[in-house]
Amino acid sequence: MRTFDWRGWLRRLVGLWRSSLQLRTVAITVLLSTFAVTIIGAYMAISVGNNLFDSRRDELLTQSAQASDTVQKLFNATAEQGAATNIENAARTAFTAVLQSSASTAGTQIAILRAPDQTGARVPNDVASPGLQPASLISTALEKRVTAAGASNDTPRVYWQSVAIRHDNVVDPGIVIGSSVTLPSSGRYQLYLIYNLSDAQQTLGSVQSTLLLGGLALIVLIGAVTWVVVRLVVGPVRVAADTAEKLAAGELERRVPERGDDELATLARSFNGMADSLQKQIVRLATLSQVQQRFVSDVSHELRTPLTTIRLAGDVLYDQRETFPPATARTAELLRTQVQRFEILLADLLEMSRYDAGAVDIDTEPTNLVRLVEDAVDSVSSLAETRGSELRVVAPGGYFEAEVEGRRIRRILQNLLGNAIDHGEGRPIDVYVDSNQSAVAIAVRDYGIGMTPAAMERVFDRFWRADPSRQRTTGGTGLGLAISLEDAALHGGWLEVWSAPGEGSCFRLTLPRERGTTLRSSPLELPPEEDRGDDDD
Amino acid sequence: MRTMNARILVVDDDTALAEMIGIVLRTEGFDPVFCADGSEAVEAFRSSNPDLVLLDLMLPGMDGIEVATRIREESGTPIIMLTAKSDTADVVKGLESGADDYVVKPFNPKELVARIRTRLRPSPHTSADVLHVGDLVLDVAGHEVRRGDGKINLTPLEFELLLALAIKPQQVFTREMLLEQVWGYHYKADTRLVNVHVQRLRAKVEHDPDNPRIVMTVRGVGYRAGTAS
Repeated sequence: MRTFDWRGWLRRLVGLWRSSLQLRTVAITVLLSTFAVTIIGAYMAISVGNNLFDSRRDELLTQSAQASDTVQKLFNATAEQGAATNIENAARTAFTAVLQSSASTAGTQIAILRAPDQTGARVPNDVASPGLQPASLISTALEKRVTAAGASNDTPRVYWQSVAIRHDNVVDPGIVIGSSVTLPSSGRYQLYLIYNLSDAQQTLGSVQSTLLLGGLALIVLIGAVTWVVVRLVVGPVRVAADTAEKLAAGELERRVPERGDDELATLARSFNGMADSLQKQIVRLATLSQVQQRFVSDVSHELRTPLTTIRLAGDVLYDQRETFPPATARTAELLRTQVQRFEILLADLLEMSRYDAGAVDIDTEPTNLVRLVEDAVDSVSSLAETRGSELRVVAPGGYFEAEVEGRRIRRILQNLLGNAIDHGEGRPIDVYVDSNQSAVAIAVRDYGIGMTPAAMERVFDRFWRADPSRQRTTGGTGLGLAISLEDAALHGGWLEVWSAPGEGSCFRLTLPRERGTTLRSSPLELPPEEDRGDDDD
Repeated sequence: MRTMNARILVVDDDTALAEMIGIVLRTEGFDPVFCADGSEAVEAFRSSNPDLVLLDLMLPGMDGIEVATRIREESGTPIIMLTAKSDTADVVKGLESGADDYVVKPFNPKELVARIRTRLRPSPHTSADVLHVGDLVLDVAGHEVRRGDGKINLTPLEFELLLALAIKPQQVFTREMLLEQVWGYHYKADTRLVNVHVQRLRAKVEHDPDNPRIVMTVRGVGYRAGTAS
């Protein structure tokens, strides 16, 4: 059962109406021109009909007057001869004469009737065309007027009236013209000529249908012309809109074709001018950014050679520090540690510039993340020990293999663990590993000082530090989390943070198990459900 | 081999770094020779006949990769690259051109010396004098590999790699194990070292390097020696 969904159609129509200027313009134009054409057409049809009728009527009136004259002359002649038979036959003779005269055309019906106000002998009898019922066509109003005219001896006057002639179930327009004639010795008679105007009606009909067709053709033509004209205007606007969209999508080379010198060409020119300057700006900024990244990369590389020399020198001095006086020995130590710090900073800076330049390749292989976590935990265990933090790995069973680049994930983990030890206040640190079919998650949870929401917002920013006055023990560069975030993103993974002041922090790394798949959820909560031991509560 | 007074050719255009490396090497009992220009490096190699070459990748005249290729054409002398870039492309190019190992700047003296010593140490001893891998015969004492009557020229590193696999033909070696045994890395190192050198070795010893029979790949694990025939 399909019901007509008119609401839907209406909505679609309204939508189309709103969205298409072309449709709207064409529709309004067609509507208004239909209105105008209808009024003009109706006026023309009516005036043509009137003129047609008036001229035909005048012609018929003249003919009738002539016929009336003829009959009168005939009657006069009959009266002079005075023969009774002639008088009896006078009406029939007149009838024949009228029939043969030019006043009668095909289909003209004739009636010669005795005027109703006449008394006395009814000679001659009334004569009428066969099939004509005078009573049905000749109204009493007309008869009265003709009778009145006869009484006042105004014989040449003719009177007319429009009638509908019915025959064979067809109604034709017609006109009845009456006049008064006098048969001396007998009295007044009335001559009625009934003309069928269907030929004039036909002419009018064809004129009207021509007008109608012409009007319709005109409306269609106006619609088409409007459509073409609007298209000429809307087309370039649409092209400009499309181009603007493409530009916004990053296709900076896109331009609008410029043709001619009109307003649309001006629009196209100013649009292109805007696009040109936009492109120039963007290219300039992109080049600047490239130059800047290149510069950072070059500086890092150029620094490496002298840094190597300094490092070798520092290490050689450091190895001999026992032979130096105490102050010099301490200098050698400081030199060595600070060169190391400088080196790490340089390496991080270089890594960051690689990310900024988008020049990072990832080299993944199936890796067991639990083993990776254990490795990372081992590598920081001595540091954790000196800070009094116990490192606990919580790894329920599951799918632990994931396609990752071990080096990068290890770097993330070491970084997260280092931060947890730094800010863990010597409390235990839990490392959770869990997985589901599509993702593996690692969460590093500390129970240290935690962070405010404002700090959490900035924790992945470069060179940002939670508390600048805080002692740095792990020698972080301030780029660690920024790099970790990039590393995670490179794997199509997430690195998220939860924290509350006084309750500690939790960083959760979620990685897709297969490269190129999109993460939907993490196997671990943030922070993970705690398996609270005796150290809490 | 002159392990104690091994001569080391240092090809580096940075005179300060070259001098510093020289100081470190002398302290460790090596005999350094210097060359600051890439175009003169091959000549210096021929005239000094070193036991090992330390080669900077960025050199005036001729770049390090080209120098390594030229040296490899005439000798299997160990080459260790000094590189400022740890980017994939550069390091792999260097290894493919024949360098045995690389050290990323900035390195420390211990790291450098450890790398040099690994490359200069004698091959591990084995009870057998002759080992068979596929249709190859390894003469352990003579450091020679033969197929039938023909001798196949391998660099000391390639020989050691093949030997490591051949000594334990039943064992599957992970890349990490090979890095430890052949390159002397006791911590996580660049597995590309293994990949590239396995490719170089295969190019020399396999009939069809795309379908290896001598150095077999064990998918997801590593490599093992082909069975003797």
